[in-house]
Amino acid sequence: MNARIGIVGANYYLPPKRKAVADIFRDEQVPAEPLAANVDFQRDIGIEAVHMANEETATSLALNASRGVLEKTGTDPAEIDLIIDFTSIPEDYIAPTWSAAGIVQKEIGARNAFATAVNTGGCASYHTALKVACSLMAANDRYRTALLFAGDKVPEFNHTYYPITVICDGGSAVILKKGNERQQILAVEVATLGKLHDVWYIPGFHRRNPVDTDRKWLHMTADIPKFNHEVIPVNLFMFRKIMRQALSSAGRKQQEVSYYIYPTFSTWDQKAFCQAFMIEPEKVFTDGLKRHGHLQETDMVLDYVDAIAEGHVKDGDLVMLTTNGAGFSWGAALIQH
Amino acid sequence: METQVGITAAAVKLPARKLTAASLFQEEQAPFNSNVATFLGIEKVPICDGESASTMALVACQEALQRAELDVAQLDVIVDYSILPQEYLVPAWNMSNKLQHDLGAKKAFTVGFSGGGATNFLVALSSAVALLGTNEQLTNALLVAADITIPGNRILNPADPVSVLGDSAGAVVLKKGAAGSVVIDTELHSDGSYHDVCYIPGGALANPDDPDLYRMALDKKRFDKAPKIETLNAMLGTLLDRTGVKRGDVVFALYPNLSREDQQQFADAMGFGSHQINGDNRESHGHLQGTDFVANYLSMIESGAVGKGQYFLAASHGMGFLAGVSLLRL
Repeated sequence: MNARIGIVGANYYLPPKRKAVADIFRDEQVPAEPLAANVDFQRDIGIEAVHMANEETATSLALNASRGVLEKTGTDPAEIDLIIDFTSIPEDYIAPTWSAAGIVQKEIGARNAFATAVNTGGCASYHTALKVACSLMAANDRYRTALLFAGDKVPEFNHTYYPITVICDGGSAVILKKGNERQQILAVEVATLGKLHDVWYIPGFHRRNPVDTDRKWLHMTADIPKFNHEVIPVNLFMFRKIMRQALSSAGRKQQEVSYYIYPTFSTWDQKAFCQAFMIEPEKVFTDGLKRHGHLQETDMVLDYVDAIAEGHVKDGDLVMLTTNGAGFSWGAALIQH
Repeated sequence: METQVGITAAAVKLPARKLTAASLFQEEQAPFNSNVATFLGIEKVPICDGESASTMALVACQEALQRAELDVAQLDVIVDYSILPQEYLVPAWNMSNKLQHDLGAKKAFTVGFSGGGATNFLVALSSAVALLGTNEQLTNALLVAADITIPGNRILNPADPVSVLGDSAGAVVLKKGAAGSVVIDTELHSDGSYHDVCYIPGGALANPDDPDLYRMALDKKRFDKAPKIETLNAMLGTLLDRTGVKRGDVVFALYPNLSREDQQQFADAMGFGSHQINGDNRESHGHLQGTDFVANYLSMIESGAVGKGQYFLAASHGMGFLAGVSLLRL
C-alpha cells in the first residue's frame, strides 16, 4: 500500500456513568477459582471500573465519537467519501441486514459518502476496516476521506468476558485522508484462524431458550476449554507473525518501533505480551486498563488517542497498533508519526 | 487501477426443495391474486429443508474453487456478503471464519460486510478488487454468501408484496490478472435516511425480546418514495463517464430478482431490452439477496448473451439505502 493515507484525527466517547468492577463481579456471578498458579481473575484483573451506557444506545455512542472527531479535525461531513462501521458486537438492529453506518451517515450529514460495515475480526475489526479502507482509497481516486467508527454497548450483566477481561461501553471514530503527511499508515495486516471461529460467539435470537428471561442469547459466550487448549498455545505465535508481516510490508524493523498500542484486557495479558517480545513496559500503553478496562475493537483507538495526549508518542515515532480478536483473528498496523 | 481483477469462476447452491409462490402466500396468510402474481413474476422459490447456511456455502465455495482450478491452500481472502441473520449473531461471529476452516484455507484471512441488501455483493466485489489491486501479496479472493430466510418471513411486506425470498448460497472467485469478466470499476452511494427502510427491527439491542419484530420489515411508503432507479441511472452515467465507455456498448445487465416490476422499471430506465436482463431466475428462484448476481452471472455466461470483450454491468438499488453499479468486461 503506497497511497500516503494518514490518520487525520481520532476520538472516543465514554458514557459518563461508571460501575466498579467489584460490583460487576458481584452482579455477574464470576467464577472465584484462580485461573493459574499465580493469577486470580478477580484480584489481578487490574481494572477499577468501566463505563456503562445504560439508556444511551450503541448508535448514540458511535455518533458522539463521530461528531467529536469531525469537530476535532475540522472535517466537513460533505468531504467524507467512505464510512465504515467496525463495531464488533451486536448493534441496535440485526446484522448483517443492518449496520449503524447508514444512520451515522444521516445524522452527521455525510451526503456524498457510501456507508458500509466490516463485520468480522472481533477486536481486530479496526485493523480489518483499516485494511479495507486503505485499499479502497489507494485503488480509487474518488475516495479521499474516510470515517471509521464503532459503538459498543454490551447487554446488562454481560460485562465480564471470563476468563479474559471486563468490558466497557463506548464509541470511537477515526478520520483517514489520502495525502495526509502525518500519522501515515505504513502497513496493515490481518490474520485469521478459522478453526477458532466459535471460541467466542453470541447465540442470537433464533437460538434463544423461551424461558430465558436474562437474555443470555444476547450475551457473549465462551468455549473456555477450546480457548485454553487451542487459542492460548497459538496466541503469541500469531502476534509475532502478524507484527513481522506488518514490519516486513513497511520495510521496518522491530527495533524501530517506538511505541505499542495493545488491548487493555488484564495485567497478566499485558505482562505476557511485553515479556514475549522483550518490550519494555514503558513502551506499551497500559494506563487505560485501570481506568476503563477493555472496549472491544475501540481499545485500539481509545488507547492510541490517550497515548498521544499523554505524551507517549512524539513526532517521528513509529507506532505499532496490535491486537487479537475473539480468539480467531490478529491485526497489526504501523503508523509513522 | 493498473492491475486488472476478474471473475474466474462462480457457483450457486440451491436447496432441492422448492415451493410455489402461491403456496407460500397461503402459508403466510398474505393476499395473492393475478395482479400480485404479475407484479412479482415469481413462480417458486428454493427452500432449505434442514440444510445450514454454512453447509450450502461450503458446497458453493468448493464448486467455485474447483471451476477456477484454484488450490484452496493458495486462497488469500474470503469475503462474506450475506445479508440475512447467520448461525450465530453477527458481527460477533461471521460465517467466513467457519468456511475458512471447513475449506482448509489456511493462508487466507476473512472479511465480511453488512447492510445494503443485494448491493452488499457489489460492496464485497469492489472491496475485494481493491484489496487485490493494492496489496502485492494478495492474488485471489473468494466472495461468498449464504442466506436462509427467517421462518414465516418469505413474503416481503405481505400487505403489499414486494418480493418472495428464497434460500441459497453463492460463491465467486476473483483473480488478479484474470483474462475475462474483468471488473472495470464500481460506483457506490448510500442515502443514510433510508438506513431502516428494510431491516429486522427485533432481536438485537433495540427490541431484544419481541418475536413479532424478529422478521424482515419493509417500510413500503419510503421504499416507493426512494429515488431508486433515478439514482442508479445517474450513477451509471458517472461510471461510464469515468471509464470512457458508451452506454450503447453495455450489452447486458445483472440485476437482482426482486420482482418483475422492479426489473422492468430498471430495464426501461436504462434502455435495456428483455434479452439484456435475466428474468428466468426470478421466476424459478425468487429473490436470493446478493446471490441473485451470481445466479444471473452464471445464466448470462451459459446463454452466450455477452461476447468476449463486451461490457456488462451489475446494478442494485439496495432497497433505496445503498445503490451500486459495477462495470465489467467479458
